[in-house]
Amino acid sequence: MQRVVSTIWLVAGLLVAAAPMSLAQNLSVQPLTVIGTLPAADWEAYRSRFVEDNGRVVDNANGNISHSEGQGYGLLLSLAADDRVTFEKIWSFTFTELLIRDDGLVSWKWDPAAKPHVTDRNNATDGDILIAYALAKAGEAWKDQRYTDAARKLAKAIGKSTLGREGSAIFLLPGAQGFAAGERADGPVINLSYWVFEAFPALASLAPEYEWNRVWREGVTLLQQATSSRVRLPADWISIQSRMQTKPAEGFPPEFGYNSLRIPLYLLRAGMTDLEWLRALKVRWSAENEGIAVVNVVTGQVRERLDDKGYAIISAALACTLDGTPVPEALKTFEPQLYYPSTLYLMTKSWLGEKHPQCV
Amino acid sequence: MRLASSAISIAVLVLGFAAIAQQVGPGANQPPAAPSSATPPNGQQPQVDESALRYFASQGDTRRVNAEIARLRALYPNWTPPSDLSQLSSGPTVPVDPLIDRLWNLYKEDRIAEVRAAIAERQTSDPNWKPPAELTTALESTEARRRLVNASDSGQWRTVLSVATDNPNLLTCVNVDVLWRVAEAFAKTEQTNRTRDVYTYLLTNCANPGERLATLQKALSLLPENQVTDLLQFERKTGDEPDNFDSIREELARRRVERASNDSTMTASAEDLAVVERLMRNSNDAGPVLVLGWYNFHHGNPARALELFKTALDRNGGNKAAEGYAMSLRALERLQEAETFAYDWRDKAPENTKVYLDIATALLSQDPPPRLESRIVARIVPVVTSQRFADGAQALGWYSYNTSQFATSRDWFRQALAWKADDEPSAYGLALSTQRLNDRAGFNAIVTQWRNRSERIADLAAGTTPTRGAQQRVTSAQTMRSVPVSNEPSRVVVEQRDMQIAPAMRTTTVETRTSGRRSCIMTRSAEGLAPDAALNLGWCLMEANRPLEAVGAFDQAIRLGSGRTREEAAYGKSLAYLRKNMTSEAAVAAAQTPQNGQRRVELGASILAQRALAAYRDGRYVETLLALSERSRIVPEQNDLMLIRGWSYYKLGRYNDAEKVFRAVQRTGYSDEASVGLNAVLEATTSVRQ
Repeated sequence: MQRVVSTIWLVAGLLVAAAPMSLAQNLSVQPLTVIGTLPAADWEAYRSRFVEDNGRVVDNANGNISHSEGQGYGLLLSLAADDRVTFEKIWSFTFTELLIRDDGLVSWKWDPAAKPHVTDRNNATDGDILIAYALAKAGEAWKDQRYTDAARKLAKAIGKSTLGREGSAIFLLPGAQGFAAGERADGPVINLSYWVFEAFPALASLAPEYEWNRVWREGVTLLQQATSSRVRLPADWISIQSRMQTKPAEGFPPEFGYNSLRIPLYLLRAGMTDLEWLRALKVRWSAENEGIAVVNVVTGQVRERLDDKGYAIISAALACTLDGTPVPEALKTFEPQLYYPSTLYLMTKSWLGEKHPQCV
Repeated sequence: MRLASSAISIAVLVLGFAAIAQQVGPGANQPPAAPSSATPPNGQQPQVDESALRYFASQGDTRRVNAEIARLRALYPNWTPPSDLSQLSSGPTVPVDPLIDRLWNLYKEDRIAEVRAAIAERQTSDPNWKPPAELTTALESTEARRRLVNASDSGQWRTVLSVATDNPNLLTCVNVDVLWRVAEAFAKTEQTNRTRDVYTYLLTNCANPGERLATLQKALSLLPENQVTDLLQFERKTGDEPDNFDSIREELARRRVERASNDSTMTASAEDLAVVERLMRNSNDAGPVLVLGWYNFHHGNPARALELFKTALDRNGGNKAAEGYAMSLRALERLQEAETFAYDWRDKAPENTKVYLDIATALLSQDPPPRLESRIVARIVPVVTSQRFADGAQALGWYSYNTSQFATSRDWFRQALAWKADDEPSAYGLALSTQRLNDRAGFNAIVTQWRNRSERIADLAAGTTPTRGAQQRVTSAQTMRSVPVSNEPSRVVVEQRDMQIAPAMRTTTVETRTSGRRSCIMTRSAEGLAPDAALNLGWCLMEANRPLEAVGAFDQAIRLGSGRTREEAAYGKSLAYLRKNMTSEAAVAAAQTPQNGQRRVELGASILAQRALAAYRDGRYVETLLALSERSRIVPEQNDLMLIRGWSYYKLGRYNDAEKVFRAVQRTGYSDEASVGLNAVLEATTSVRQ
């Protein structure tokens, strides 16, 4: 009995695995302009609330700490708002306070209440990618070689220290330490929301010696794997010890949570809309009236509904892209409260401004 | 390999650049201000960042010039303002750019990000505009210094070294802190010779005496001592502010004595010892006293060591001082004092526990056997038991044996073997005691097990060794070892129960017995005996492990005796029933005459423990828990009973409670049994979930 069941699973796994492989081949990453796509008023509301004069982006829901991810978003959004002054400040802080690791990556956590301020010197790969990407785009847009040079160094460091390999697969590790096969019982462990798909062409031109195209395609393949179960949502943290049968990583709640919310946003921003999973997600988020929520990926149970506009606008962007539905009026005004949803709001809105102005 | 060689080139670069920076520093681009002033005899004037000052002077802004002079003076007390400022201000007027003014002000206030932002802003409107070169240099230096400091705070040593290499202008006496951090980075990347080079550079070139001394202090923590000693040659004995590196010499001497203090084969020089003596006299610190204490202890002078450890205790020297004091008493063979003292400190640290157990073992193992107060023996028992100290159990075995408590000695030897299965002396003790007790089955079992491993046990079996009255002295090994434990928790616990409760109480009886010990085996009945004789008979029968007959004797003593005798007899009767696991009878006996407080607690606790164990054996877990709860109201619950409590919860399916209890036991060191319990809980709960 046991054997029969596992054989069936194996066959199912192979079938599911076969489909996305070919799908990933058909997708491509569409470049974005970014600069000049964010309304000045929206940016000003964000900047005055979350960016300090010394260039520190403050996560006000999290003890007012800063992190590499926030610095990366701050850089990208100042570029979107064509605000070189703020970009320069955020970069100055990032460079002097966080870009201090021996391997050239960015320490992820900075706490104003602690001494020394860097309370976790580990990197977070999504922060590194966002910063490198923003620097690369800014260097191009503002013709500043300093940004391009820094972007190249960081891209090479990401390629050198955060790519994992298992057999023929090559994927992003969430950090340079602690997630690889030998470092955890259930390793390697990944986080699909760390694939900032739009950044990969930039990384490929900065550090062409690494196989960035294979990395982002593997991201799509793993996404397909992780969304093949009944609930069809990926957990934030996933063990890919068996690539054919990914499962929620140990020690993390088996939830589609605050991390994974960004996956559809990153897919949309990269123009990778031709994915069946996005349609399924749209149905869940809009038609079925569940809204955006933190969901247990095993049971399908909703743990927490998220009603901040910053989350809702991702759902609206999905509807706009797939069905041409305009963004509801209520979502068009920006009243920043908390760092994270406010950031997602502007990341979504700047992209809508660039690609789907008719919806906003 | 590559790392090492490139690191060396970094070091050369670093030092090269630093030296260059020093040479072309102030002297090269400005005339000496006041030749007689602060410049130290063999050091140069520190290189101070005067760029803002010069800018303000060139703008003729006297107010800002004065403010900046005040700021720099506060930062660098030895600094003198350049004398050419007035020339600058009277020179050809440069058209005033208010932005430059703002930038320097922001820079002065350390608002680096805002300087960068303002430059970027200007360049957006005027792409060909460039900030003054001095400002760019100043900014880059500040950013580099911040990165270097942050990287060093986070232990990112290679970043520290690469930033230093890229920014050699940081490596001057103005930034001694940066030099120290670079030196540390070299040390942390296994290049202590480069560390020494940085310190040498600093001591050769930088003048501030406080910073020079601090450099030596840092060297003490990072460099081998011979290299620190080499650096002492740079001490400046003359000049306005001579160095005083005596504290470094003293520390080096203290360390030499400290090393010798733990190694009896090393001798410290008289000079070094004198230095530590002086350190001891000149401070209230326990540190140097402890060093001297251990030195004396390990160099054949325990009497002096004892005095020193006493002083260390008075200076709040804590656990280490207590350890030394106890060990000195023991070395002086003042074992009873040692036991009393060490007992008070036994829980302070693992070392203190070990010292206590060693002393207690030595105390029990004296030859001829000492006459110990029962409370002393009684308090040794729980420490030996909780630490599962086999040598201690063995010593208790010999002590009991040598005071003719053969049943007790048999139990202790068994316990010692349970904790340390290959302990031949305990096996021998067990063979002797079973023989004395006429316990044929026990004797044969031990002989079968050990005949091939122990000649003397084989001899005993062959009847070649006279045992009667033999005082078998065995030197105990003084080391604590971990003990292999059976995997079947409840059985172990139930067997231990006797060990934990009974021996302490049985030894309390040692002194109350006076005569009739040996004759009781012949005596058939207590009838007709006087109360005291009946009482003695009772104890004697207890010792012969004939508790039911002992009950008869104690009854006689209760019937006829009065006062203490009655109380004593009732106590004995309770113990007798306890030994037969007849809990209810024991309880009745205990109630027969009023007992004093301590005994009442002891008896009550024992009775409840046995009641709990009996209930547990019969599978009545609710009753087990009731008895344990009642017991825990009068005495703290010991680990073995906590395990019984845990298993009762487990059997009742109360897994959360069981887990809590096992975790608590685990924390107190009974990790093996607790782990068995925790595994069982885990298994039970996961199978429930599936």
